[in-house]
Amino acid sequence: MAAGAAGPCSLLALLLLGGLAAGVAGTSPEIKAHVTGVSGKLILSCNITAPYPAIKGHEWMHGDKILQTDTESSAFTSYTIEGKMEEHSGVYDCIYKTNPVIKAQVNISVPPQVTAYKKSEHGNEGDTGVLTCKNPSFPPVFSWLWYKSGQEPIINGSGRYIIKSSGNKTELRILKLNIEEDTGDYHCNATNSYGSGGATVNLRVRSRLAALWPFLGIVAEVLVLVTIIFIYEKRRKPDEVLDDDDGGSAPLKSNATNHKDKNVRQRNAN
Amino acid sequence: MSPPVPSDLGYVPPDGGWGWAVVFGASISVGFAYTFPKAFTIYFKELQAVYSISYSQIAWITSIMCATTYGGGPISSILVNRYGSRPVVIFGGLLCGIGMVSAAFCTSILQLYICVGFITGFGLALNLQPSVIIIGKYFLKRRPIANGLAMAGSPVMLCTLAPLNQFLFDNFGWRGSFLILGAILLHCCVAGALFRPIGAATTPVKPQVTGKGKDALKEEVTEDAMEMGSPTKVPMEDKVEEEGGKACCEKINQYLDFSLFKHRGFLIYLIGNVLMFLGFFAPIVFLAPYAKHIGIDEYSAAFLLSILAIVDMIARPTTGIIANSKWVRPQIQYFFSFSIAFNGTCHLLCPLASGYMGLVIYAIFFGLAFGMVCAMLFETLMDLVGAARFTSAVGLVTIAECCTILLGPPIGGTLIDTFGDYKYMFIKCGAVMVLAGTFLFIMNYYNYRMLAKEEKERKAKEENTKPVRTENEGRNSWNKETTRDGPELEPLSKEQEGLKEEVNGINEV
Repeated sequence: MAAGAAGPCSLLALLLLGGLAAGVAGTSPEIKAHVTGVSGKLILSCNITAPYPAIKGHEWMHGDKILQTDTESSAFTSYTIEGKMEEHSGVYDCIYKTNPVIKAQVNISVPPQVTAYKKSEHGNEGDTGVLTCKNPSFPPVFSWLWYKSGQEPIINGSGRYIIKSSGNKTELRILKLNIEEDTGDYHCNATNSYGSGGATVNLRVRSRLAALWPFLGIVAEVLVLVTIIFIYEKRRKPDEVLDDDDGGSAPLKSNATNHKDKNVRQRNAN
Repeated sequence: MSPPVPSDLGYVPPDGGWGWAVVFGASISVGFAYTFPKAFTIYFKELQAVYSISYSQIAWITSIMCATTYGGGPISSILVNRYGSRPVVIFGGLLCGIGMVSAAFCTSILQLYICVGFITGFGLALNLQPSVIIIGKYFLKRRPIANGLAMAGSPVMLCTLAPLNQFLFDNFGWRGSFLILGAILLHCCVAGALFRPIGAATTPVKPQVTGKGKDALKEEVTEDAMEMGSPTKVPMEDKVEEEGGKACCEKINQYLDFSLFKHRGFLIYLIGNVLMFLGFFAPIVFLAPYAKHIGIDEYSAAFLLSILAIVDMIARPTTGIIANSKWVRPQIQYFFSFSIAFNGTCHLLCPLASGYMGLVIYAIFFGLAFGMVCAMLFETLMDLVGAARFTSAVGLVTIAECCTILLGPPIGGTLIDTFGDYKYMFIKCGAVMVLAGTFLFIMNYYNYRMLAKEEKERKAKEENTKPVRTENEGRNSWNKETTRDGPELEPLSKEQEGLKEEVNGINEV
C-alpha cells in the first residue's frame, strides 16, 4: 500500500511548527509537530520538549470532533489516519492534558481538491443556469477562475455571467440561457498557497419545447385508450339499446359473455 | 368462499367479469389520489430555490392538495349521486391534468397553490371517492378482495411515481415535469372510462335524448335510482318535483344523505376513524428523519420506506383475501379494530427498537399493519352502511377525517420539537391508535348485538306484512346489510310504490 508515497521511506510532505503553550512560568515547553505519510497512512505526531508539567493524557481533535483520547503520560503522542493527505486535509489539534492545557496545531495542507457539485448540469432555455464547484480541502482557495473550453476566462458581471466565490465554493450563474451559445464544458480553476486544481462541469440547455413531445405523446395515448374502451363497450352492448327501446321487456338476444349482467336485467325488468 | 350476501342495491353485483377491470381502474385512481402529494415533494427543493421561499411555505402546496382531496369528498359524493361514477372520474382526471399543465406555466407561488393545490387536489378528490364507490356496485361476495386490490394501487403507484418524478425532474426540469405529469394524470380518465355504469334496469323512462346519448342517459337514470339511497326516496325520475310536497331536507338527502348521522354504525365508524387518523400518517412522515436522527445514513433511511411500501403492497390484497373468508367477513369490524390496535402497538414499541435492524423490523410490521388498515378502510364503511348509502357516507367521512389527517403530522412535529425526542411522537400516535382500535372494538360489539336484536324484531314483524318479497329477504346471514336497507331489496317499480311507503314506515333506520 504505497499509494502516493515514494517507496518505503517516510514522506515528509509538510512540516509545521506547532503553536506554543500558554503561560508556564519560566521557559515554555516547545512542541514539535509532524506529519508523515507512510504506505497509505498518515501519521500525525506531537513531541513536547522539556521542561513540561505532568501529563495526564493526550487528546487529538479535528475542529470540535474528538478523534482520539488517552491517559498516558508520555511526551510523544501520535494519531494515525488511513488514507491520503488529499482526502484528510485540515487543521488538527494535539492536546496535552496538563495544567494548564498545552496544545499544538498540526495542519495537513494540500493543493485545492476541486470537485463539481454535479458533473452535468441542466438548464432550461431562458432560465438561469447555475454551475457550482467546491473545494473541501485545506487551506481555503483565494482565487477562483471560470472559463469555457478554449475561451477567455469569464469575468464576473460581464455579459450574462455572475460569479460568486468563497474560500471553499464558487458559483457561476448564467442568465437567460441560450441553447447554442451556452451549451458546453465549463472549467473552474482554484488556486491556494500550495498549488491549484480544477474541475469540469458540462452544461446542457434544454429547449422550452423539450417536454412538449412526451406530453403530446402521452395525451395521444390516453385518447386512444379511452376511445378503445368506449368502442369496446358500445360493441358489447347493442342488445341493451334494444332492451331500453322496448321499455323494459325481455331482451331479444343476448350475445354478451357476461351472462350474470344479462340475467340481472332479465330478472328485474318485467 | 363466503356464503351469499343479500344485496341492498336492487340487483346482484357481478362479483367478477368486468368488475376486475373496474378494480384495475380504481387502483390507478386511488393510487394517484393517495400518492401524488407524497411524490410531489421531490420538487420542493427546486421550487424553494426558484421562488426563494421557505420550506413551510412550499409545504403548503401538499397540505392544500391533501385538504382539498379529502375536503372535496362531499362534493364528490353529491356529483356521483347525481351523475354516476364515470363522468365524475373523467372530469376529475381532466381537472388534474389541467391543473398540472397550468402549473407548468406558473410564475408565482400563489399560482402554484391554486393550480397544484386546489385544482389538482379537487381533481384527485373527484377521483378517489367514485373509485371506491363503484367497487361497492360491482362486488358483493368478493368485495373485500376487490377493495384490497384497489387500495393496493397506492403503494404500487408510490414505487413508480417517486423514481419517475426524479427522472422527469432530471431530464426536463420542473416545468417540463409538471407538463408531463399533467399528461400522466390524464390516465385517471382512462380509469374512469373503465367504470362502466351498472345498475338494474327498472322503470321504463321515456327517452329524453335521441341518438347516441340515449344509452348513456338511460344508464345514468337507472344509476340515479341505485345511488340515491335515502329510505325516504321514491322511484327514480329525473324530475324530482314530480313527487310533490317533498320536504327540503329530504331533497338534500337525495344528494348527500345527512340522515346517515342518525345511523349508529356510521357514527361509530366516524368517531373511531377521526380519532385514528390523528396518529396514522405521522409515523410515516417522521420515519426517515427518525432514522437519520439515531445515526443511520440517508440511503438506508430511505430504504426503510421502500421496505414499508413493499410490505404494504403485499399486505393489502392479502388482507382483502383474509377479510373475505367466511370466518372473518361476518366479524370484519373486529378485524378492522384489531388491525388499528396492532398498528398502534407497533408505534408504541418503536422507541424500543435500537439500531438499524430494529428499525427494519419495525418498518416491516408497520407496513403490514398500515396495509391491513388501509385495505379495510372503505370495506368496513360499506359493510356498515350498505353499498347504496355508501356514496354519501364516504363523502361525509372524508371531510370529517380531513381535519385530523392534516393535524396529525404537525402535532407530531411539535412534540418532536418540544421534547427533542422522537419517542413521544411515537407514543402519542400509538396511544391514539390503540384507543381508536379499542373504541371501535367495543362499540362494534355493541352494534352487532343491537343489529342482531333489530333483525329478530324485523323478522317477527315481517311475518305479518305483505307477502311480496324477493328471495333475498330470506337470507339473513349478514344482518347489517338487510336491516337498514330493507326498501332497496325490492326492485323499484311503479306498482310497488305504495308497498314501499308502508315498508319504509316499518323500517326505521
